[in-house]
Amino acid sequence: MNQENLNQETLNKDNLNENTANLQEVTAENCAELNEEAVENPTESEFSNFNDEEEAQKEQAELDKKAQEDMLLPPDPDAILEVRHLKKHFVLKKTLLGKPLSTLKAVDDVSFVLHEGETLGIVGESGCGKTTMGRTILKLHQPTAGQIFFRGQDIAKYSSKQMRSLRTEIQIVFQDPYSSLPPRSTVGGILAEPVRVHKIVPEDQIKDYVLKLMESCGLRDYYYERYPHEFSGGQRQRICIARALSVNPKLVVCDEPVSALDVSIQAQIINLLKKLQKERKLTYLFISHDLSVVKYISDKIGVMYLGSMVEFGEKDEIFNNPKHPYTIALFSAVPNPDPENKSNRVILSGDIPSPANMPKGCKFHTRCPKAQEICKHIAPEYKEYSKGHFVACHFCEEGE
Amino acid sequence: MGVKDLLNRLKQNKEDKSEAKSHYLTGKEVREIAKANAKEMRRLEKEKRRKVPQEEFMSQMKDDNNILEIEDLHSYFFTDQGVVKAVNGVTFSIPVNSTVGVVGESGCGKSVTAMSVMRLLQGPTGQIVSGSIRFKAYDYKRDQDGKFVPIYEKDENGEVVQEFDPKTKKNVPKISGYEKVEAVYDIAKMPIHEMYRLRGRQISMVFQEPMTSLNPVFTIGNQLDEVVLLHIPGSTKESAKKRSIEMLNMVGIAMPERVYASYPHELSGGMRQRVMIAMALACEPRLIIADEPTTALDVTIQAQVLDLFNDLKTKINGSILLITHDLGVIAEMADYVVVMYAGRIIEQGTALEIFRNPLHPYTQGLQKSKPTMKSSSDTLYNIPGNVPNPINMPNHCYFKERCRSCIDKCSGEYPCMHQVSPTHFVACHLYESKED
Repeated sequence: MNQENLNQETLNKDNLNENTANLQEVTAENCAELNEEAVENPTESEFSNFNDEEEAQKEQAELDKKAQEDMLLPPDPDAILEVRHLKKHFVLKKTLLGKPLSTLKAVDDVSFVLHEGETLGIVGESGCGKTTMGRTILKLHQPTAGQIFFRGQDIAKYSSKQMRSLRTEIQIVFQDPYSSLPPRSTVGGILAEPVRVHKIVPEDQIKDYVLKLMESCGLRDYYYERYPHEFSGGQRQRICIARALSVNPKLVVCDEPVSALDVSIQAQIINLLKKLQKERKLTYLFISHDLSVVKYISDKIGVMYLGSMVEFGEKDEIFNNPKHPYTIALFSAVPNPDPENKSNRVILSGDIPSPANMPKGCKFHTRCPKAQEICKHIAPEYKEYSKGHFVACHFCEEGE
Repeated sequence: MGVKDLLNRLKQNKEDKSEAKSHYLTGKEVREIAKANAKEMRRLEKEKRRKVPQEEFMSQMKDDNNILEIEDLHSYFFTDQGVVKAVNGVTFSIPVNSTVGVVGESGCGKSVTAMSVMRLLQGPTGQIVSGSIRFKAYDYKRDQDGKFVPIYEKDENGEVVQEFDPKTKKNVPKISGYEKVEAVYDIAKMPIHEMYRLRGRQISMVFQEPMTSLNPVFTIGNQLDEVVLLHIPGSTKESAKKRSIEMLNMVGIAMPERVYASYPHELSGGMRQRVMIAMALACEPRLIIADEPTTALDVTIQAQVLDLFNDLKTKINGSILLITHDLGVIAEMADYVVVMYAGRIIEQGTALEIFRNPLHPYTQGLQKSKPTMKSSSDTLYNIPGNVPNPINMPNHCYFKERCRSCIDKCSGEYPCMHQVSPTHFVACHLYESKED
């Protein structure tokens, strides 16, 4: 028993060290609390002789094997976009021989299916990899591993030349309308360029086409010869949306399109996006940190934490029946504009850990109010809780 | 396309262009405006630097329950394109021990109001032109020479305790503190160098960006100690450090010694904002101005910081002026709400009144256009158009062009504030008829 306790202590120390590295004040407290719990916990012995590294390697190998098997399956024929085990790692340090020493796992094993005409909302805190995921799907970053099926073709392996023809199908709207428009060209020039490059309409019809497009995006036709600096944020975002739609894409990745805008302008842009979706049967991948906006616009929702999807499902299912403790905390943290019913908040202690130095086991265990000994050592599997509702947590068993 | 069509189109284009170019100024016009502005700015700058006896900026509160009373405040920016009336006649007050939330879109003058209270407007362009800001301070008492009046520590027999001073090598009476006295200052009339007695010590501010408001080349401890050393008379390095660590503890930092010795870049956003709050609280101010304290933070961290503010309000017995554009944050925190639009207050009242019974079309629109976690409707209500150009504001209601419940009267003068209930005021013509 003594020996076991010693082991336990060293393990806890390891954990402590790891946390202090990130200067997470309160997590240390949590750990201390958990230690107390663990003493009483009969399952303690189960993990006291646990070799984290060995086990992690084994686990990783198993996961890789499973991922390999998954990847052999044919793509979903109904899906417009299917992402399987997508990974994007950035190498921070290299050895002399170019072998990666430390990597930042910005996107770590994300899978989902998106059908035509749907909107998938991705939520999460800053630094959880939502933007990197959006850009990787557009192949603005080369994925490290995984498959991206766009209408049944695996575009993850496409070269940039092959991608060029697909650019008319997938487009992106960026977050900051102040820095994503070229200051030296007129609105007409900005909107006509993609049309000209991709030969969407003959040269002599370009102006009419652009004017029509501007009208559908709520831009007046005399804006045609104006420059971006003459517009307010909301108008610029309209220009960005018009530019993305100028090539008639099927899938639009909206990377925080309303975060930089005022509330009343936000509503205008959201309504515009909804109107255009109806008119052109667009599919949106809507990335945002604003949960109420995501709830409003999406059909499906994915919640990300430190590069992985922790919960995924239909909007109503996720909002009415959230399962993952992170989702629950995230939803309760949103301020409720009603002074009478102040929400009962689950306040998470500490900050999001650095993605370059991820916690072992479940990534969320350092902040999780439900965390147990098992969470520190074994990463939970991302599995189907009920139909179409995926959760990655040890304490959400199927049909619970 | 016929010739007629073409001509029509050309005509249309010309009209559109003239409309579009209406806000452009010629060089001559700009020079004229700049000349007039320069004169005005020089006068105001001179006033800011004048030396006057203390009596000149002392004042009286209208209501003794208030800590801050802002009355008809006008803060303008004298730009070369024209005068921007960023704050145009704002009147509200902050009662003791309460949170007042100022809400509005960007450019409505909420931050400028806060900056005016701190006298931090960027001169010479930004100036308080008229109005008064009365603040009830609990300031150190000064004798005729402008020195603080010390309180000497006494033992049981009522005799003053003597202490050895290593500098003069003599025994001197031990000072336990300095006398304080309640005084009401009119901040708008104070010369700028007198503001040092209020800033940080009596009123402190938490800024939006915790990343940019801490100095990257000094440790957290260094920056926190500075506040204490500057503002608490008679403090030493040791006492300052003790106080700093106490403050870090108070804002919920579990390892204060460690944070004390670290540099800002080593901390996360939430931690930095906590440090900023600790810094603001170090001198026990009576009023904290929080200018969008959580806008740069994530929801989960925002919840932590808001919780901390609520906690601290009772602990330090102070008042908070909370500035934000997020109605949810206001609802969670504020007792009183002030809604601003284009430099003016359009509605004010208790939080319950504003959220349960919003009267001004703009307040209603703001609330409806924000999707909430609970609501579900097909199309989101939106307020058409944009905030008007702040230069050359029209004479009528500023919201007229975007308003959906406009009446004939709206083309007339700007509506004045109408009292609906003892605490609820609204500036809209729709509610005037009831009283007349």
